[in-house]
Amino acid sequence: MTATTVEDGGAIQRRSLGTRLVTANTFWIALVLLALIIIFSALAPDAFPTVFNFQRLAIETAVLLVLAVGMTFVIITGGIDLSVGSVLIFAGMVSAKTMNALSGGSAIEAGWGVIIAGLVAAVLGGLVWGFVNGFLIAKAKVPPLIVTLGSFGAALGAASLLNNGSDIRTVPTTLKRALGSGTSFGGIPNLVITAAVITLIAAWLLHTTRFGRYTFAVGSNPEAARRAGIGVTAHLLKVYLLTGFLAGAAGFMSLAYYSTTGIAAHATDNLNAIAAVVMGGTSLFGGVGTMVGTVIGVFIPAVLKKGFNITHVQDYWQMIAVGAVLVAAVWFDQQRRRSRNRS
Amino acid sequence: MWFVGALAAVLVLGACGTGQVGEDGSDSGAPDQNNKRLALVPGVQNEPFYISMQCGAEAEAKAQGYTVDTQAPQKFDATLQEPIVTGLGADKPAALLVAPTDDVAMTEPLLQVKNLGVKIVEVDTSLQDRSVAVSTITSNNEEGGRLAAKTLAELAGSKSGSVLVLDTIAGTSTTNARAKGFLDELKKYPNLKPAGEAQFTQNEPDQAASKVTAALASTPDLIGIFATNLNTGEGAATGLRNANKTGTVSLVGFDASPSEVDGLRAGDFQALIAQDPATIGKEGVKQAVAALKGEKVTRDIEAPLVAITKDNMAENEKFFYKTEC
Repeated sequence: MTATTVEDGGAIQRRSLGTRLVTANTFWIALVLLALIIIFSALAPDAFPTVFNFQRLAIETAVLLVLAVGMTFVIITGGIDLSVGSVLIFAGMVSAKTMNALSGGSAIEAGWGVIIAGLVAAVLGGLVWGFVNGFLIAKAKVPPLIVTLGSFGAALGAASLLNNGSDIRTVPTTLKRALGSGTSFGGIPNLVITAAVITLIAAWLLHTTRFGRYTFAVGSNPEAARRAGIGVTAHLLKVYLLTGFLAGAAGFMSLAYYSTTGIAAHATDNLNAIAAVVMGGTSLFGGVGTMVGTVIGVFIPAVLKKGFNITHVQDYWQMIAVGAVLVAAVWFDQQRRRSRNRS
Repeated sequence: MWFVGALAAVLVLGACGTGQVGEDGSDSGAPDQNNKRLALVPGVQNEPFYISMQCGAEAEAKAQGYTVDTQAPQKFDATLQEPIVTGLGADKPAALLVAPTDDVAMTEPLLQVKNLGVKIVEVDTSLQDRSVAVSTITSNNEEGGRLAAKTLAELAGSKSGSVLVLDTIAGTSTTNARAKGFLDELKKYPNLKPAGEAQFTQNEPDQAASKVTAALASTPDLIGIFATNLNTGEGAATGLRNANKTGTVSLVGFDASPSEVDGLRAGDFQALIAQDPATIGKEGVKQAVAALKGEKVTRDIEAPLVAITKDNMAENEKFFYKTEC
């Protein structure tokens, strides 16, 4: 970090690791997260830096992280997906319905066969909405904001229709104990492992594969991407399918964890996911973004809220602080980019 | 799409561990007698019902030499309440008074806090799993619903017609029970028939208002509405006002928030079924302290309910909810 090298004025300057790190999109926001953790640990040494607290922080952000991972792809293409929270509920509802139907009423005693069928149903439920969004955005050229605002309401309505507006609570105990509250490797919650592995695969997909490069290209300049021979329409459709798929997976995780379909909950998941992605340095104009940034962006509001809860600061301050951090993060990022472009 | 298959495998593999969250490091030994901190997590911010409960709890705690730290979620939503419960729990108060926002989803986080050695007392709402809390103080909501039906029958007199029930959210044990008690009791009055099942308003006034205007259009003989809480009541009053049916259709509300009391005075409401949140908060603290001191704890306590009409407002003033202590 302290490595500073004097650049000789060559035509192409090779920047040192230190310079690249300090100018990295995610570096400063990572420092903010670290600073928050240190401050709260100092303020509440007995309560904040505890295994219990970090375990809870990780569990409570796991579902949102999976949504935000999908959102990262969409925002890098210059799009937006307001429907993720509703698709999550829809997928959970389809999954619970399927598991209950296969068990002849109540799925509480159901085994792994039924649970896997439930997982498939959840993922399919997510993919259906991903397809609807992707088709309307990529093929019919309706703006993503409008399409997903529509599916935000429609998916929740469809989920409510499936069970007459009430939640399903008959979730297999095996699923609850395994994915919902189970742990592996000496205490790491399975829900967190699942979210982490999904994030790692997605990071690999975004940063090392052709799919990822196309995603950046489409977001950076769709016309240029088209002329370079990238099937922009097909690619956009795939990205929204992926986001729907991840929302479906998140729905299954949520079902396992809360053991209810939670129609009334998750109302602000979409905005929280967008805030996390943007805080993590992904540009709302597309073409720029990292998965690591999204992970940090998911944790900053969570750490702030948890820290304020633990240090007994009124909840109203949390809302203000989270909003301020969001705007400040984007502002700093803009400033930094502008000054870099000037030099 | 091999990627899809890979992720599906991850979800299942992630579920193959053997441990359970919070099963290690749990010390539910004897409570620390020097810990005089209590925590209260109501169902939602800024609701006079919960503020009155907080006032009752704080007064009683002060009398007993304890402090109460209150934090409430922005919405009546388990996903928002959970981080608050576990956040306050991490600080290990002696006892946690909580109004669970979902009778199933809040079980796991509350169990985690309990495993840290914190006594759990349920106030207002409760979990299905009765092993988590040491005591539950709640209004008998089913009885409240019955009282509402009786009151509405008195208001209707000999007139006959349909009655609409506005519930909040599926899975909210309190309002679901109120609706059930109301519909059960209503069967005793042959001149009153329910206008279909209880309708869910998602605890949003605008949805309640639109359900009322829709019911007025579809059910011309509507003569009464039972709104199971503050938000549905205010929405129903708005709906009736918009349709110019205030007073023609009798509106029985639940709770006695300042706006509802004003509504009763102005004629928007014909009756209110009031709970006694201050007593719920007070009893919650009493039971928590008893549990901490190892004294006898009453597992279930019912708080009183009262039907307030315009005629008996004056003598029931102590049941009106507060917006600040």
